[in-house]
Amino acid sequence: MPDPFRWRDEIARRIAPLGLSPAREAEIADELAQHLEDRLVELRSTGLSADDARRAVLAELADDETLAAAIAVGESAAVEVPPPGDDRRGSAWTTLRRDIRYGVRTLRKNPAFSTVAVLTLALGIGANAVIFSAVNTVLLKPLPYRESDRIATFWLSAPQMGLPEVSLPDALFAYYHEHTRTFESLAAYTGAGFTLTQAGEPERLLGANVTIDFFRVFGVKPLHGRTFLPQEETPGNNLVAILSYGLWQRRFRGDTSVIGRALSLNEIATTVVGIMPPGFEFPKGIELWIPLGLNRQSVNSWYLTPIGRLRPGATVESARREAIALDDEFVGRHPEWFPHRDSTRTQAGAMLLRDRLVGDVRRPLLVLFGAVAAVLLIACANIANLLLARASARGREMALRCCLGASPRRIAAQLITESLLLALTGALVGLALAVWGMGALRRFAADQIPLLGQSRIDGRVLAFTIAIALLAGVLFGLAPAVRGARVRLQDALKEGGRGGASAASRRLNNAFVVAQFSLSLVLLVGAGLLLRSFQRLLAVDPGFRAENVVAARLSLPGRRYPSDTLVRGFYERLLPQLRVLPGVRAVGLAQRLPFTGGNPQNTFVVEGREPRSGEPQTVANVRQVTPGYFAAIGTPVLRGRVFAETDVVGAPPVAVVDETLARRYWPNADPIGKRIKRGGAPNAEWMTVVGVVPNVKHRSLTETPDLWLYEPFGQVTNWGNYLVVRAGGDPANLISAIRSEVAAIDPTIPLFDVQTMEQLIDRSLATRRLTNALLAGFALTALLLAAIGIYGVMSVSVGSRIREFGVRLALGAQGRDVVRLVVGEGMLLVAIGTILGLVGALSLKHVLSGLLFGVGVLDPVTLAVVPLILAAAAVTACYLPARRATRADPMAALRAE
Amino acid sequence: MLDRELKKGSTELMILSLLEHEPRHGYELSKLITSMSHGVMRLHVASLYPLLYRIEKRGWIEGRWVEKAGQRRRRYYRLTPAGKKVLATQRRSWRDFVEAINRITGIQHA
Repeated sequence: MPDPFRWRDEIARRIAPLGLSPAREAEIADELAQHLEDRLVELRSTGLSADDARRAVLAELADDETLAAAIAVGESAAVEVPPPGDDRRGSAWTTLRRDIRYGVRTLRKNPAFSTVAVLTLALGIGANAVIFSAVNTVLLKPLPYRESDRIATFWLSAPQMGLPEVSLPDALFAYYHEHTRTFESLAAYTGAGFTLTQAGEPERLLGANVTIDFFRVFGVKPLHGRTFLPQEETPGNNLVAILSYGLWQRRFRGDTSVIGRALSLNEIATTVVGIMPPGFEFPKGIELWIPLGLNRQSVNSWYLTPIGRLRPGATVESARREAIALDDEFVGRHPEWFPHRDSTRTQAGAMLLRDRLVGDVRRPLLVLFGAVAAVLLIACANIANLLLARASARGREMALRCCLGASPRRIAAQLITESLLLALTGALVGLALAVWGMGALRRFAADQIPLLGQSRIDGRVLAFTIAIALLAGVLFGLAPAVRGARVRLQDALKEGGRGGASAASRRLNNAFVVAQFSLSLVLLVGAGLLLRSFQRLLAVDPGFRAENVVAARLSLPGRRYPSDTLVRGFYERLLPQLRVLPGVRAVGLAQRLPFTGGNPQNTFVVEGREPRSGEPQTVANVRQVTPGYFAAIGTPVLRGRVFAETDVVGAPPVAVVDETLARRYWPNADPIGKRIKRGGAPNAEWMTVVGVVPNVKHRSLTETPDLWLYEPFGQVTNWGNYLVVRAGGDPANLISAIRSEVAAIDPTIPLFDVQTMEQLIDRSLATRRLTNALLAGFALTALLLAAIGIYGVMSVSVGSRIREFGVRLALGAQGRDVVRLVVGEGMLLVAIGTILGLVGALSLKHVLSGLLFGVGVLDPVTLAVVPLILAAAAVTACYLPARRATRADPMAALRAE
Repeated sequence: MLDRELKKGSTELMILSLLEHEPRHGYELSKLITSMSHGVMRLHVASLYPLLYRIEKRGWIEGRWVEKAGQRRRRYYRLTPAGKKVLATQRRSWRDFVEAINRITGIQHA
């Protein structure tokens, strides 16, 4: 009857440390296993039970090292020890292979240790791979355009008017286009919405009006058809369109016959002339391009964003200087257009397109990258500690190898090989995690982090992962390897029985724990500060109440609504219909809503405070709103009144201003009744201020208060508007009713960008939310790893001193004294780590600058709470080994001594 | 010290003797030593095989895997010509040694 016990494996395990060739090892294992099986049958036949027989056979096998050592003597020729200085490649290769084989076996022999180590590393390396892939795509990889490092953009600015960035009017852009020397090709674009009415529901498409050179700047050729022709630049000839690959596939199923066909865009027949290749999508989300129809005589609208391809050798700085110089020239040639410009010198900025796109996310990404690297370092320290503990336990194995002639260098090389094997296995598992993690990151963050959607595991991410794995392997393998190589036979045999850790190795363990806690503290403080900032941010009053408000966009085609009267007529029918829908509390209309991007601004003049010649003009955010708007969005009236249904054309012009504007111009007077008018146009009418409302945040909760000027929709009419509807409950329930009311009046008008105000604010916080969540996650992982680290170190320390505790208990110490002793030792390490960490946390001031809001780096709450969290985690981690110390048997201790 | 050397030398001699006339496998050797010594001598796995490998390496014996009908594959050891010579020498010195001991112990007992 075959014995279920795996004798062959048992033998193989015991002789594994000899590093014999696999064939020889198998031969020995076979032969000995046969013998043992025969012996077992023999013992069973004498009447022994299966268990007793097996025990007897095992006893005959003697202990591990005896068998291995005895065989080693017999096999001495097989245990090669390379002579010192032997550097023949073949021999080095053989040695490496043997080390790897032996390493694999050693790791397999300790599945619990290997699993913990590999998983810890996989988490650390995987997280690094994910964040690096984001850094790689967003910050390092060139944009997917030909020689993309030459594509740049610039803008003008007028800080004295409160305008950090100014777009260009047609005439100025045309002047730049004609005179530029730094750009090889220069184009301009502006976003535009198009309603496609073509069999079925009208669809709103995001498009861009572009100048003719637009595609040349990117160096992109159409997939089908052609790009725009020079004559298509002039207004009237520009009724042609180029489609994105996505739109072509989605709407026209990839049918090439669409080229030459006329589409109804905003009710204008527009001929498709080309289709762009897949992947070309600039600006982001754009589905079609239409020639701009440049009006070379217009400086009225400042709305064009320039983009160009720099000449070889030209820099963004030369582009910036040229932008200023050409602007000065242009203003000098057209004094009639710029009566106020003589002393207000324009400034300019320029950037490579990549930097411009990446803008705000560079710092959060780098912060996360730093955090994730710190997590990996902490994980490495844990594994180094585990390996150090194991090195002590493997003292006798090392002694045996030493005995057989292995040099310290060989032993160190063997141990490093084991570490690298661990690290590479960790990297492999980590990469699998990274694939999953990147998918998750893309799903959650592709909207907030530009370019992230294109992140993939490419060669660079792979190389990075392998590099950090090797680095980590060396990092956590070095200390144990040096310690392992230093083992001396006598010491190992003396101490071997106790499996204790030497003082030197304990000091090293302690140093790792201190480092882990100081790094964790820095991460936790960083995460804490960001969370506190976020808390402050959520407490900011945006100037309106977002809950229960839904917003949607409408745009009336100029073809069918050519006059203000017709536009007003449409809304005068629509708004009352909406107001009486069940569940609706208030309905309003505004040209732009907070947090929807874009920010129409205009210069204005306050009566009695007209700027003298040469004095800069002031700019306010200008909105045209209906009477119901303030109630619908939830902006209260501070003084006076908001607009009334009677504020229409023909009635006296009126305006509402915000408190910031009122305070600046009439600090000590009642603003009601004061007069204000738009700047620029000489024939603008004076409007009487009838009300004051609170300041409203438009782009972000962190912005400094702008000046606001509201005009009544009844007097200043717009074609494209946002509907704002306040509901009694969940506003999402109203959307279909709103849609059908719009369709009842005009079925060709799509309702688009339907969102609740809460979603809009949320989106403005999304990048922060993501950064916070990731950083908090990394910080907690760091804390967990540090706690595991101190737990491991205290366990080893308690294990090696168990007799000491026994003696203490025998001499009358109480259990709680021992607990206090152990926990106290752990807490000393934590205290040192905390102090070092606090010093490190001061550096966060620079790292987190621009990410904090309303809190400083020395935020007392964060600095008080974080060390407490660390201490609590550490006490818990130390308590478990301390409990074990109290269970030391005093009698056993005394007997041993 | 003498004891250990003696035992080691004698074990070698026993194994070489048992292999003098026919090849045997390890388990058989261990059984024979136990039974022929009436249980006085025992040679377990941890001592037997290292010894076999050592003298095989010296070229005194030679092991070979053999498959016999109805039996499992086993490794049989046989004496090499060099082993035969060693056996003869060791026998001689053993005889001298035993006689010397006997003479001494015989005088003591006499």
